[in-house]
Amino acid sequence: MTGIIILATFMGIIIIAFASIIQKKLADSIILFMGVGLGSVVLFFTFKAPDVALTEAVIGAGISSLIFLMALKHLGEKV
Amino acid sequence: MNLKREIPTSTMSGFALSAVLVLTILNILLQNIPTKIQTAGDELLKLNSTEGVANAVTTVVVYFRGFDTLGEIAVLFIASLGIGLMLDSNNRCNIKAESNFMLQTASKFLFPIIMLFGIYVMIYGHLSPGGGFQGGVIIASGVLLLLISHKEFEVPHSVIVLLETFAGVSYVLIGLIGLVVLDTFLGNFLPHDISNMGLLMSGGIIPIIYIIVGIKVGSEMGMIVQNLIKRSDNV
Repeated sequence: MTGIIILATFMGIIIIAFASIIQKKLADSIILFMGVGLGSVVLFFTFKAPDVALTEAVIGAGISSLIFLMALKHLGEKV
Repeated sequence: MNLKREIPTSTMSGFALSAVLVLTILNILLQNIPTKIQTAGDELLKLNSTEGVANAVTTVVVYFRGFDTLGEIAVLFIASLGIGLMLDSNNRCNIKAESNFMLQTASKFLFPIIMLFGIYVMIYGHLSPGGGFQGGVIIASGVLLLLISHKEFEVPHSVIVLLETFAGVSYVLIGLIGLVVLDTFLGNFLPHDISNMGLLMSGGIIPIIYIIVGIKVGSEMGMIVQNLIKRSDNV
């Protein structure tokens, strides 16, 4: 059962990552990039690495995406 | 979805090249695995019990690889410095829209809980998953919540400078005291008996260093977030 969950998460991460790179709007890409981070959190936790999972949840899915969004706001219409 | 039109040929060839490279590296790695690499982590895990810290990852990050952690903090400081230099320090970004009423009310309720969770993760870093980096970033995200909900809120620059300087200096000072007492940089000079493993007061200097790392990371990330929100572009 765990194997099926892990495989499904892997497939989901790949699909979300691919959807993220083909988006036209950069803001949509960043939101989908957060989804990649969330999938990685599930994977790290099932692979018995709770430290890495917590780091990924806080930094990868949380604040780095927000920093990307704020940088996008600064770039504004130049992109 | 028409792939040929969406993605240029150079990007596709880049994907193909990187796939070939990854496969080559994996092939090389899988063909000749030295027996030493497979047991490299076990030796560190055996040494873990000598420091009396329940979370083995913390022992590796803060004690066995403590100098690396000092370098990582320096990297984060340089990133924060670069963002501060890129943005204009004179022109304040005037935020026109007032934030939502629901966001303002919810932030008053959520901010203490986020801060409490961040401090918990920071202080219990040697007992449970988490630690200084994670706790510091959680505290910075609490500051971010206040920054986006309250227009006039701002952490004074002097407070951030004070916290950052205190944390950086005390990290190096603890390392130097270890160098004087035990002839090792970041030597564990406080009592760390194995019988205390699992208690809050255990592990000697390791929890102290992780709390210092948390203060440093929290102030640096808070600085990055505040600069990005409050300051306008230089160009």
